[in-house]
Amino acid sequence: MEASRRSLVAGAAVAARFLPIWLATGALAIVAAFAAPAALQKTSWAFVLPYMTVLALAALGQMLVVMHAGIDLSTPGVISLGGNLIVGISAGSNHRLVLGILVCICLGAGVGLVNGILVGLLRLNPLIVTLAVGQIVLAWGFRYSRSVTNASSVPTSLSNWAAEKPLGISIVFWTGAAITLLVALALRYTAAGRRFQAVGANPRAAWMAGLHVRTHVVFAYTAAGVLYAVATVLLAGVRVSIDPAFGAAYLLAPIAAVVIAGASLSGGLASATSTWVAAFALTLLTQMLLILGLSTAMQYIVFGAAILVGMLVSGDRVAAILGRVLRPTDTGGSAHRAVGVNTG
Amino acid sequence: MHVRRRRSTLVVLTLVLGTALVLSASSPGGTGKAKAPRAAGGFGEIYKANPKTLAKTLFSAKLLPANTMAKNISQAAYRRADMKVNYALALKCWKNNGCSTGTGGKLTVAYVEGFGENVYRQVSKMEFILQALTYPKIGKIIYSSAHSDLNQALADFRAAIAQHVSAIVTYPDFGDAMIPVFKEATKAGIPVSTYAWGFVSGPGTNYTTVVGEDTCKLGKAFAHVMNTQVKSGNIAFLGGFPGNPLSLGWQKCEQPALNSSIHVVANEPTNWDPSKVQGIVSGILAQHPDIKGWSYEDAEFMAEGGYAAYKAAGLPYNTVLTMRTDETALGCLYKKLKDPSLKVYYYSAGNSQIRVALTADMMKLAGAKIPPKIVFPIQLQNMATRSTCVAGYPASGSATSLVPASLLHKMYP
Repeated sequence: MEASRRSLVAGAAVAARFLPIWLATGALAIVAAFAAPAALQKTSWAFVLPYMTVLALAALGQMLVVMHAGIDLSTPGVISLGGNLIVGISAGSNHRLVLGILVCICLGAGVGLVNGILVGLLRLNPLIVTLAVGQIVLAWGFRYSRSVTNASSVPTSLSNWAAEKPLGISIVFWTGAAITLLVALALRYTAAGRRFQAVGANPRAAWMAGLHVRTHVVFAYTAAGVLYAVATVLLAGVRVSIDPAFGAAYLLAPIAAVVIAGASLSGGLASATSTWVAAFALTLLTQMLLILGLSTAMQYIVFGAAILVGMLVSGDRVAAILGRVLRPTDTGGSAHRAVGVNTG
Repeated sequence: MHVRRRRSTLVVLTLVLGTALVLSASSPGGTGKAKAPRAAGGFGEIYKANPKTLAKTLFSAKLLPANTMAKNISQAAYRRADMKVNYALALKCWKNNGCSTGTGGKLTVAYVEGFGENVYRQVSKMEFILQALTYPKIGKIIYSSAHSDLNQALADFRAAIAQHVSAIVTYPDFGDAMIPVFKEATKAGIPVSTYAWGFVSGPGTNYTTVVGEDTCKLGKAFAHVMNTQVKSGNIAFLGGFPGNPLSLGWQKCEQPALNSSIHVVANEPTNWDPSKVQGIVSGILAQHPDIKGWSYEDAEFMAEGGYAAYKAAGLPYNTVLTMRTDETALGCLYKKLKDPSLKVYYYSAGNSQIRVALTADMMKLAGAKIPPKIVFPIQLQNMATRSTCVAGYPASGSATSLVPASLLHKMYP
């Protein structure tokens, strides 16, 4: 009886943490249907779906880092240099595209590994470390972009692939959805995924249980780098042409998506599918505000306010309130920890 | 007797020789050339540019500023564009963000800007270096970019003043926020000029001069195209950073000059960020799929993000575009699409205006009275009759730049 009650409390806490972004997205779609119906039309989807996918993949990478109480500000650097590498190495040739993509993925993994070593092994502050590493990579990207200016377009095989629409929906969207699903399933149903979450939820307990905490932190940053690189490949296909500041828009947006999706910045809890929904909501909101014809200042105000509200109604705050309501006699924090390994 | 005869012989010979010399000099078939009238000039400059150079960068040799002194400065500046300079040194200077010119000249000139990380600014930097290398008096060239950081931009400017540079050319990305440092430089006797209509309040007092086109006339020229090509229906404006003087300049004059049957249904800032253009164009298209025209500064972004938005929406790119710049990307897209219903009218990116700004500074140092504004007349070009697609140029390169193609290839191999 007590066990089923605890299970109910844990389930409710998880729902409370991640449900708000789903409800908010539904509400946003309803508002859009009435206030800006054009935001839900084909022309709008042609932009929203590919771009939300890129944001979602970058946010997924960020989520893996946030689950270990970290933060990664190297995303714009990886995307900018990665995009330029794809163009530079492939040099417009479809035959060399695979090589360009491989180098881009290796870049993401390499930058992530460096971040992971500096944060996980050397215990340096993730905010400063990833900002510094990101700046170095970004500067390298600026420098490298000079050499690819003469041919700044990706090979046609990539841009043509990105323009495909199976079942009338962008292939970029399907690709992103599949990757998100894979990450969600891996975190929830594989032993490695559960260990990954357990380390993030309570590193001390995980260490006492014999898990390699530092290795998991290094892995989190490395996997995040790979996801940024995959996002880069998709963005390059959608954008077709690359510029030196190719990834500039991906500094704070992925973090915002992770946070309003209910992740705790102190580590532990996060949901891949909710992060994906948050990325969708942010992109749709941007498009809706534009279509509503609000002034730029008002667009920024509404967008910022939406993120604040998202933070207020999701994450630890709501989970804690619901936990207290459902479990008034329990004074410990065990339920919080218990649900930490049951997400996805 | 002998002496008198010898004297008269000498006089006759001298007269004959003198007459022959005068005749040969004045005769059209003679070996001596007729002296051409000397071109006007002053302050170390000659006010006579090659008409071909003017036509390349201004579309026509006649499109010079109306003000006499402004015209003289422009002629002098563009004359220098044809002078031979050491391209290897220019490239080294460009790559290293500054150099010693090796002339032993005592002057130091600086190009200080708030943002420099795109092809447009880098080509402008090369134009500045090439122009500076035509002055033997200039011994050192300095360049700095603040990477879009206002505090850094102010610090860079103050650093240039502290180094006692002789002249500063800048693109004031932060507008009037730069006034304090402009005043400091002016007070220190350093001429400061801006280009590409980098307008900051108080030209002539707070700083030396602003070089560029009349943005209001640009807006009116855009309106004329819309009135004649679109005639009636919806159009949209796109701009750069919110409130920037360049976008406001043409927008405030295009709007009232439009026919009453043309409606501006959107006016969105893009921050001149190519990644934003596709989203914004896509959003406007979602609400107004029947939109007939777009006015914007950047031709390249409409070739990339703008075209991508139309393509993603499954709409044909058969619109009217009035663009301030002339990047090759749009010219080459136009050539590729071969669609007569796509109508493109453009002006110039104005990279070479930086040459005029530097020459204005140099003439100021030489004691000339520089007009507070050096304004070039507007004449929009029709892509159908004058293409901006130049083989071998980068997509972001401007067809009106005076950087030689051979050097451009070395800059962007």
